[in-house]
Amino acid sequence: MIARHDAERPFFFGADQGLFGIYHPPVAPATQAALLCPPLGQDHIRSHRLYRQLATVLAAAGMPALRFDFFGSGDSAGDSADIRWDRCLTDTAAAAAELRRLSGCDRIAVFGARLGGSIAVAAAASVDPSRIVAWDPVLDGADYVARLDALQDSLRIDTRRFNQPRAAEAAAGQWQGFTIDARLRQQLAELRLEPPSTQMHLIESALPATTTPSRQRFIAHGATVTPLSSSTPWEELERLEMAIISHELVQSASGLLREAT
Amino acid sequence: MTEQAFRFGRAQHLVGIAGLPSATSAQTGIIVLNAGLVHRIGPFRLHVAIARRLNACGYPTLRFDLSTLGDSAASDESLPRAQQVRADVADAMDLLGAQAGCTRFVLVGLCSGAENAHLVACSDPRIAGAIFLDGFAYRTPGFLLRHYLPKLANPVRIWRFVHRRLRPSRQLAAPDFGMAIPPLAQVRAELADMLQRGLKLCFVYSGGNTEYFNHRRQFRECYGAVANHPGTSLEYFKAADHTYILEDDRRQLVDTIERWLLRNLPQTTAGSGA
Repeated sequence: MIARHDAERPFFFGADQGLFGIYHPPVAPATQAALLCPPLGQDHIRSHRLYRQLATVLAAAGMPALRFDFFGSGDSAGDSADIRWDRCLTDTAAAAAELRRLSGCDRIAVFGARLGGSIAVAAAASVDPSRIVAWDPVLDGADYVARLDALQDSLRIDTRRFNQPRAAEAAAGQWQGFTIDARLRQQLAELRLEPPSTQMHLIESALPATTTPSRQRFIAHGATVTPLSSSTPWEELERLEMAIISHELVQSASGLLREAT
Repeated sequence: MTEQAFRFGRAQHLVGIAGLPSATSAQTGIIVLNAGLVHRIGPFRLHVAIARRLNACGYPTLRFDLSTLGDSAASDESLPRAQQVRADVADAMDLLGAQAGCTRFVLVGLCSGAENAHLVACSDPRIAGAIFLDGFAYRTPGFLLRHYLPKLANPVRIWRFVHRRLRPSRQLAAPDFGMAIPPLAQVRAELADMLQRGLKLCFVYSGGNTEYFNHRRQFRECYGAVANHPGTSLEYFKAADHTYILEDDRRQLVDTIERWLLRNLPQTTAGSGA
């Protein structure tokens, strides 16, 4: 059974009504709901359709879902330069409260891709989810910051994009189209996530083997790992404006989110 | 200014965000169309920046997703795409008319959004102006000279050109924004008709379309009298890329749009002011 599109409700919520969300109601009364934390920056735009597909699949299977945008991103209030790590955690808690109110479900599972997964983990204490499903989450911030800096430097001299290479100053303080405030950059550089006390599922794209200490720590604390059969071009300059699509991800994530505890 | 989320349209299938200035009623509303498959916030949130800047100037705005794009669904009407776009934009104008009292509208579109803005501006009498970002342009003899002459004068570029032709390219295709290009004569006649009906037209080209636009002069080479008409404005950001990925480029573009609107279609309000 497919959920009717006109039942999906776009709205603003949270402090000052500054957060944008879309609620996907279930086709039948539900006992648990799903909160979908978006990634930040260009990952957010590229995965928009995939998040919508995931929410639609979940709602059709009887699990209400809420998609939302952090303050300073998407349709929410604020500018990219206003995004802060702590505010993202507060927004996640506000979204979880809104989802519980809308769905009537006390038990919620949380999904997030990339930094959305990281935020889901970091906000676990205040959200109290039944489980977290994180797709290619950023577990070590310092590496992530270094990679995006390098990507930005490649971008500004890419003559397939620009007539002439652009000066470093023109691209400074930005990552792939989005202004990054120095405080957020510092917060991300210092990010080192600890495994949450709740059930954790990692979904991993087929990347070059990664055996970072953080990943090992999560697995040692009981996180399960679901590998995808293909890689995801999160950081490929040539595909920077192409949508991230993965039917396999939608199937895996919806299955893990709906698992009975 | 407040932003409100709406599900609207003849089948309640469209999703959009209206930015409503504090004035109770405003004559001119701004509608921002999807750029390719990117949802209504636009590439790197460009559409949010445009909408909020224009809201601050007193213009009500609506950024929304056309049928089947972003968060909008299909209308289940089985209309040809052009009719679907016209009907969706008509729904958007109805919404902004009901929410802010707008009676005339300016369309803003990048790439396929510019194509859709052109399509609607051809036929809908409520359209008072359009801002075409990397809209239609055609290769002219001048374009070809500017494109190929520097290559011929540079042996390294000749070698690269031959190399590319002989080896299968590993370069992936640029984002496909799905532009369908009608003949030049048709577009020129349609633009002339818009100007004849009193529309104000703003053409902005970026430096990211080197395969079909490479100089301000090319605009006149393409469009002749249309280019000279007082209702026509042209801006060329040679250093910028197609989707304005750098912050300063985006700011410059938004500045240009704001200035053009204030000069050509100043807001008149019936309320307390913006």
